[in-house]
Amino acid sequence: MTLLQAAGITKSFRTGEFDTLVLKGVDLILEPGEMVALSGPSGSGKSTLLNILGLLMEPSGGTLSFMDETVSGLSDKQLSAIRNKHYGFVFQFHHLLPDFTAMENVAFPAAAPAGGISPEIRDRARMLLDRVDLSDRIDFAAMRLSGGQKQRVAIARALMNKPELVLADEPTGSLDRENSARVMALLREINHADKTTFLISTHDPDVAKHCDRQINVVDGQVE
Amino acid sequence: MLFALRVAFRYLTANRVQSGLLIGGVALSVIVFVFMTALIRGLAIFLTAQTTGQIAHVEIEPLPRIAQIANASGRFAAQPISTFQRKQIRNWQLIVGQAERLDHVVAVVPEVTGNGFLVRGTAVAPIALQGIDPSQIDAIIPLTKSIIDGSSDLSTGGLVIGAELAEDLGLRAGIPVLLRSDRGIERLIPVTGIFRVGLSNVDRRVVYLSIAVARPLLSLPNGVTSMSIKLDDPVLALSVAEQLKRQMPLKITAWQEKNRNLQTALESQGRTGSFIQAFAMIAIMISIASALLLTSVRRRGEIGIMRSFGISRAFVAWVFVFQGVIIGLVASLIGSGLGYWLCLFLSERLTGPTGEPSLPIAPSEGGYLLVITLTVLGSALSAILPARAAARLDPVEAIQQ
Repeated sequence: MTLLQAAGITKSFRTGEFDTLVLKGVDLILEPGEMVALSGPSGSGKSTLLNILGLLMEPSGGTLSFMDETVSGLSDKQLSAIRNKHYGFVFQFHHLLPDFTAMENVAFPAAAPAGGISPEIRDRARMLLDRVDLSDRIDFAAMRLSGGQKQRVAIARALMNKPELVLADEPTGSLDRENSARVMALLREINHADKTTFLISTHDPDVAKHCDRQINVVDGQVE
Repeated sequence: MLFALRVAFRYLTANRVQSGLLIGGVALSVIVFVFMTALIRGLAIFLTAQTTGQIAHVEIEPLPRIAQIANASGRFAAQPISTFQRKQIRNWQLIVGQAERLDHVVAVVPEVTGNGFLVRGTAVAPIALQGIDPSQIDAIIPLTKSIIDGSSDLSTGGLVIGAELAEDLGLRAGIPVLLRSDRGIERLIPVTGIFRVGLSNVDRRVVYLSIAVARPLLSLPNGVTSMSIKLDDPVLALSVAEQLKRQMPLKITAWQEKNRNLQTALESQGRTGSFIQAFAMIAIMISIASALLLTSVRRRGEIGIMRSFGISRAFVAWVFVFQGVIIGLVASLIGSGLGYWLCLFLSERLTGPTGEPSLPIAPSEGGYLLVITLTVLGSALSAILPARAAARLDPVEAIQQ
């Protein structure tokens, strides 16, 4: 089974009277358990591609399949359900919910559809926080955590619903070298242990080195 | 849904100053609503009580006697009022029984009424004679508590007269006075008591006496001229009058039909109050909608991140609707409580020289259930616009900002 397959993906944005073609027919396949780096210079269309593969943005053309099912043309409700059950996201800036604790942030993706934080959800959130070495910060408000700690909470949140695919957009972009290395080691460990597929958008060659393979996007096309 | 409620609560408690100000503003509008409702209803109660406290709530009188005169072709040519017979209710005992069986009827008072004069020396004063059973002296007007000289006991065969009439004729309790009825019958009768009810036409004109004394004076040995009914709730007079009309062929009039100006004034006042209440409600809805719209803009990033990990648009919308409902519920409870306290304070503290309230506020009539329901519903409705705006946010745009 192929986890994610993109075929002929195009994306254009309208600026005034002009259409700007950002993606020019991208073909890409992700297999289960892979850890893939998505690299390329700024403005190459890397983030746009990541948003389309993450079902956050609709492509202008081409088809997208997830777990051998076509997801192109699904409703927002269906896409939201797929993202919730099968996807995890880690962003450059952690984007935690500042008014919630570390545990509540991690539990949120499971608690919202379930209608609350059940004991099972709480236990899994605690386990994930322990796994990212934050068991002593469970009840800390998100805004009281350091940058590295926040990013690790974001990683734990991405894993909450046991996703098949985690998309990470510059996950170490806002961290110092030590925290970057720690986060990448953590992602690799999760990839090995859970067979979770990672697609990591990055500029950093050191990050790309942690991955199984690298996809280069240049001028809206995969090299 | 429950988790959306928890998120909404957390958002409100996270920014306590903003939430406090918003709740304070809405509570202020609720206080205005409660105060105006209590004042308008209190005024209506006061005016109605002032009016109905001194009059019969339903009156029963004989129908006008009409003589129908036909012409040669058999068609009715004229319907003149007959003056050949006295207007009276002959079977009044039966009617008393029927009326007393109706719900809300407190008292049924048969009366023998007529006009006459009180004569003392060269002074003559026109009077309205009210012959009633001495045991029912307080049934329609609370006369005993209005007595300023003598007593209200009619069983001794004396007269109970108004204070202004007594002043005009220089009368006091115990002094006999000549009573001349409109039937030309005269009798010297002592004044038993003098009352002052505060209504000039009653204090100057009405003379109470025992029905047994009134009958020979007004040449009415058996029947009664009218019957007055008192109810436990004056508002029900129209429906009681309707029931009586179905049961007996007599002229039956509720007090509202004789006081149409008061009814019109109360209805106009009620409409004015409704306008004020509507404006208070609009102010509540605008303040909640604008505050939540600002919140939805401020929390764009968070909404975007929630949407990215698959939280539905409906969940995001519920978070904002719940915020509106919580604000409405808390503010309406606080506003209702403070509004009640304000009404109570004003009704107890703002009093005239004799201790009566200066403002006729009815603190228990503040429309509390209504204002709480309307505020919660209005708050939920006003949250729909910001909720829709938040739910439609593009997650990619929101995260990038």
